[in-house]
Amino acid sequence: MTVTDRVEQGVTIVAIEGELDGKSAPEAQQAIVPLVPADGKLLIDMHGVPYMSSAGLRMMLLLYRQAVAKGSVVALVGLSEEIEDTMSATGFLDFFTVVGSVASGIELLNA
Amino acid sequence: MADTLQLPATLDALGPIRAFVDAAASAAGLDHKASYRLRLAVDEIATNVITHGYEEAGLRGDLELQAWRNGETLTIILEDDAVPFDPTTLAEPDDLGTPLEERAVGGLGVFLTVHGVDEFRYERVARRNRNIFVMHRQGADDG
Repeated sequence: MTVTDRVEQGVTIVAIEGELDGKSAPEAQQAIVPLVPADGKLLIDMHGVPYMSSAGLRMMLLLYRQAVAKGSVVALVGLSEEIEDTMSATGFLDFFTVVGSVASGIELLNA
Repeated sequence: MADTLQLPATLDALGPIRAFVDAAASAAGLDHKASYRLRLAVDEIATNVITHGYEEAGLRGDLELQAWRNGETLTIILEDDAVPFDPTTLAEPDDLGTPLEERAVGGLGVFLTVHGVDEFRYERVARRNRNIFVMHRQGADDG
């Protein structure tokens, strides 16, 4: 599992690569928490994540709270159909902004 | 005849466990989504056994997996000798519609397991926990 970050048009884009399970999701969380901007915009790119267990949901929940606490807004991009199913079944999908592409995420977060 | 996998109960086992389940699902002809849901279910329960059953209890041990296939079903059996725990006694989360700010963390893994497989059972046999996951090979994407 790797985490890379960049800033595009004022949006912090954090890309995760690899499967998120009980071992890797806490590692991803540790890597991403320091990257959450203050009063900013965060786009989490999941194109490189083919699998996510509830450990990944926990990671998302904590990142979401971290972002809200710091006054930032969050969007997700690149969810696989299966991960979207998992988020839908657990009610997570209702509370996250999900976009279809990095470009539309940047546009939405800057709107 | 069953395929089996035995390995130390640490979080490093999760990847190999998913690979084992994936291979069994392929051999049974499960479609992509059914295979994913079965992988997720076994992974969730294995994660609970490793973290709560072994590590938090200060215990060490193994996980043992078996894959059984017949004409109708694929059955994965996960056995451990950690602290006795029956996941089917865990209450379903009742806050799935609650905003994330107020959500409790936890209980979602068992929820995904129960709702992801066609049948989920727990047995306590010879001082071991046995978690049983069943998928139908016909109409595997029914639910």
